[in-house]
Amino acid sequence: MEKKPFERPLIKRLNAGMPSKFGMHTHIEALTEIDGLKVEDLVAEHGSPLYVLSERILRKTYRDAYNVFSTRYPRVQFAWSYKTNYLDAVCNVFHQEGAWAEVVSGFEYEKAVRNGVPGSRIIFNGPDKQEEDLKLAIQNGSLIHIDHFDELYLLLELAEKGTGKPKVAIRINMDTGIYPQWDRFGFNYENGEAWEALNRILLSEKMELVGLHTHIGTYILTADAYRIAASKLAILATGIERKYGKVIRYIDIGGGFASKNTLKGAYIPGTDAAPSFEEYADAVSSALIKSDIKPENLPLLVLETGRALVDDAGFLLGTVLANKRLADGRRATIADIGVNLLFTSFWYQHEVLPAQEVSQHTEDTTLYGPLCMNIDVIRDAIDFPLLKKGDHIVIKRIGAYNMTQWLQFITYRPRVVMIDESGKVHVIREREDLEHLIRLERIPAHLKSDDARKK
Amino acid sequence: MKKENLREFAEGILNSYTQIFFARDPVLAIALIAVSFLSFFSGLSGLLAVIFTLGAGLLFGLDKKAIYNGLYGFNSLLVGLGLGLYFAPTPGYFLILLLSSVLTLFIAVSLQGVIGKYGLPFLSVPFIIGVWIILLATRQFENLGISEKGIFRLNELYNIGGSWLVNVYETIHRWQFSSTLKLYFMSLGAIVFQPNVLAGFLIAVGLLFYSRIAFTLSLIGFYTAYLFYLLLGINLAETSYSYIGFNYILTAIALGGYFLVPSRWTYLWILLLTPLVAILTVSTESVFNIFRLPVYALPFNLIVLLFLYVLKFRTSENLRLREVYIQQFVPERNLYAFQNNLMRFDFRFTFPFRLPFWGKWTVSQGHDGEHTHKDEWKHAWDFEIRDEEGKTFKGTGDLPEDYYCYGKDVTATGDGVVEEVVSDIEDNRIGDVNLVHNWGNTVVIRHGDYLYSKLSHLRKDSVTVKKGQHVSAGEVVGKAGNSGRSPYPHLHFQFQPAPFIGSKTLYYPFSHYLRFKGAVPEFETYAVPQKDDVVSNIDPNPLLKKALHLIPGQKLHFSVNGTASENKVVFIAETDTLNQTWLVNRATGSRALFVSDDTQFYFTYYEGKKTDILYYLFLGLYRVPKGYYQDLEIRDTIPLHQVLRPRQRILQDLVSPFILFNRVEYTLSYIEIDNPALTNRIVIGSRINQKRFGRQYERYVFSIIFEFGTIQQIKVNSPRENLLLTCIG
Repeated sequence: MEKKPFERPLIKRLNAGMPSKFGMHTHIEALTEIDGLKVEDLVAEHGSPLYVLSERILRKTYRDAYNVFSTRYPRVQFAWSYKTNYLDAVCNVFHQEGAWAEVVSGFEYEKAVRNGVPGSRIIFNGPDKQEEDLKLAIQNGSLIHIDHFDELYLLLELAEKGTGKPKVAIRINMDTGIYPQWDRFGFNYENGEAWEALNRILLSEKMELVGLHTHIGTYILTADAYRIAASKLAILATGIERKYGKVIRYIDIGGGFASKNTLKGAYIPGTDAAPSFEEYADAVSSALIKSDIKPENLPLLVLETGRALVDDAGFLLGTVLANKRLADGRRATIADIGVNLLFTSFWYQHEVLPAQEVSQHTEDTTLYGPLCMNIDVIRDAIDFPLLKKGDHIVIKRIGAYNMTQWLQFITYRPRVVMIDESGKVHVIREREDLEHLIRLERIPAHLKSDDARKK
Repeated sequence: MKKENLREFAEGILNSYTQIFFARDPVLAIALIAVSFLSFFSGLSGLLAVIFTLGAGLLFGLDKKAIYNGLYGFNSLLVGLGLGLYFAPTPGYFLILLLSSVLTLFIAVSLQGVIGKYGLPFLSVPFIIGVWIILLATRQFENLGISEKGIFRLNELYNIGGSWLVNVYETIHRWQFSSTLKLYFMSLGAIVFQPNVLAGFLIAVGLLFYSRIAFTLSLIGFYTAYLFYLLLGINLAETSYSYIGFNYILTAIALGGYFLVPSRWTYLWILLLTPLVAILTVSTESVFNIFRLPVYALPFNLIVLLFLYVLKFRTSENLRLREVYIQQFVPERNLYAFQNNLMRFDFRFTFPFRLPFWGKWTVSQGHDGEHTHKDEWKHAWDFEIRDEEGKTFKGTGDLPEDYYCYGKDVTATGDGVVEEVVSDIEDNRIGDVNLVHNWGNTVVIRHGDYLYSKLSHLRKDSVTVKKGQHVSAGEVVGKAGNSGRSPYPHLHFQFQPAPFIGSKTLYYPFSHYLRFKGAVPEFETYAVPQKDDVVSNIDPNPLLKKALHLIPGQKLHFSVNGTASENKVVFIAETDTLNQTWLVNRATGSRALFVSDDTQFYFTYYEGKKTDILYYLFLGLYRVPKGYYQDLEIRDTIPLHQVLRPRQRILQDLVSPFILFNRVEYTLSYIEIDNPALTNRIVIGSRINQKRFGRQYERYVFSIIFEFGTIQQIKVNSPRENLLLTCIG
């Protein structure tokens, strides 16, 4: 018989409230394996903390999402939102599955080109596009989503200079009945700016208007907002066809679909609160199909879903460093995962699971990271099993944004590995080391260490 | 008369000659004209009769097409040839000739009206009636001198061609071949009233040039008759019926290869019918001898008409004896076109149907299914959506909403009118069935007489169409659900002959769709999806759709750079009252008929020279589905005569009714696309290969670039020529 793991003793106040019909169940299921590989082994081989991405989940999520839309709408295209996770391996999984690239900076654009994405399959978004970036995008026939008039003027200027005929879409913001209304990106629908931009583009004849784009926000918890957004874009598309005889080739509805993570302060968990993918798809496709757009001109539906495609495939593995008791008597556990590696912990109540079997006993715990900063809190209050130093933890659904918004702070950023569909582990980003970090540093001559010692 | 009309008129004259053998072929025409002039006055008289008839027909305002096809002229020609032999060239005779031509024309037109209703040709019946009338009447006309022609044959030949022609004639007659072959030639010659070996020989050569099948048939017909006579103890060569041998020849050509698609079965029928013609020859002669009238081709006419008429009363499709519906005037062409069409199209199912949904669905129960598709309801499908792992639901599958297909749009399978709508039946819980309203929420659409489609088990209140509303193919009619006898969500679909819910099913295939094996699609035409097939509609690519949507009047300009030529060509899209569409090269008159529907573009026929630039367009774009599928390979076959030149297929032609050892295959593959979802440029490649005795020969390779919404460039590689066509507007 295997020896049962030791757990520290625990005294817990008895709460004589009304138990629900399910009793007072608190047991937390451990997550000991990812795609059939032991967390323990992964950490032993690749160190802790460790980012793990599952190629199987990436592909499955993508295909499910694609099928959800393609069974509802005849022509669907996903564009991988680079900023969500631009590790080459992740991008290439999506490109292999058929996704375009959606980039928001010259850097991301370069990365997409480097990944072998043909220019015509890159959507160039965002408020910051430098002149050089735009020139390249025009020459490559990329789809430039104009964000503001100054960009429009710049494009006109470039087109006049003979850089080529830019393929453009405009980004449109609008009231979809939700708060907050994202009105800082693109041209407003209600106040007529959108039409003004469209008129300028179409009357100039220097650019080719190919699409319309909106991105109503992020973590949108109602599918109806998408219905309204799609309908408004469809109205614009029919208007453009009526006025200019120009058929809009695609409508880009952006992303922002809520993932299953729970927002801080949310009353019900994200798995229950967020609409299903199907509901979003129903809303968008039915709005377009029922619109006045002629069936033969039904535009391509482009989706820039980022978070919902990648979040579930990411796991962050860590190790308990210490346990301590706080001044008010609460327990605290310190792990080696800090907010610098889990940026999203600022707004999500991440699901943290033990990586080894635990008893049913849990304690109200604050989960701290290893940084020497007061803000380094992964979870304020979590019913957590009694882990001891050296035990491993797994944080689920961290595939989105954490590997792009992470900070190199105090210590090195860890390895990122991907488990392929056959269960083989590939390192897709090495652990940083001193060499890597000082590569860009330059020391003025008078501060060179030899000189400094002399003084 | 304009030059154009003059040419048509001349063609009409030539066609009148060849129409005797149901042909349109200049070589045969020249042979026939030459032969008819072996007796100068007879030949002249025949030619005049044709001109009179064509002229009269035009003045009268008869159908020009029929006139120029020689349909009316050939009967008068025979009358003229016949009369020319009997009478001397007096002014009175020419008047008689004119009158008899007009009379024959009238008889022909009237017969066309009377028996044409029954889908029967009038053959040479007008000639027989016409010549009889004249013969009977002219016995009273003293002034018409009876000709001595035909008696002093050599004199006559000398008058036409001098001693040279006499020598040729003598040489051929001295040749040591069998008496039966001599008799065969004489019979052939007798068709144009020249029952001699020289005439027959010339016609035989012409016939061989025109069609190997017709030539073979002429021999088969003749020798069958010969053997039959032999069986009865009569030597045909020694009887008075000898010259009448052409009846067997004409019957064999007409039924063996012209009105019916040549096959071993038509050949077999010739063996049976020829003795009948022989019997009829003897019996009709014994009647008409009383009136001292020759029976000419009467036996042939009677048997052919009788046989064709009886064929019309068949009630079931019979592949063995197939009537030719689109006459191409050469037995080989009829055969190759027929066999090719059999492979390409299924004429029983002309209504184009698409699958009633979007995306990839899986057949969970097909025809003759294991659950409910049985007996009268066996031609039905159940469709559902499966995921990568083959599951039809996500989560636990305890709720209809868990199922992938639940709530998905279902669409009209073809244009039609909504006939019946049920929309108020509750969806079942999973596992439960509603046996009272077993079809659940249903839409029935009428597509034509006795042709309805039915979509069942729809979601409650999801039907978006009303009774009597017109729907077009692909239009959303409702959402898949779980009502009726449906334990879990799926779409039941069937074709049926009646508008009622619960009607028995009808076998009818979907016209074109894709079947997926893994990610690799296969192109299916006129097929029935089987159980566990993953299927989807062809999703047209907007660029291909636009480039291949040729509007009547549209012009395609190409510049041609080749090893042999360098110039510009223009093709014009045209259409007619029958809604046929074609591209024509006005400079050469070549035409390529095409069909361009929602999902594909394909050519059906090409007429013109095989060196024309349009011909390359015909071959290169022979069939192009309008969706872009990287791994999809399209195969098709082209009728032999559209690719192989006559000299390349002499052997094949001879045995074609029995065996095809040649095959011309078209293969299309999709090479390159810049962006599948938002396409600016597509490259496709196609090949024409000839397969002979299993070995493959590459004949043409095409590389076609679609860009700027049109066919931008066509590269042609063949052993003969390398060409580059570039669109210039």
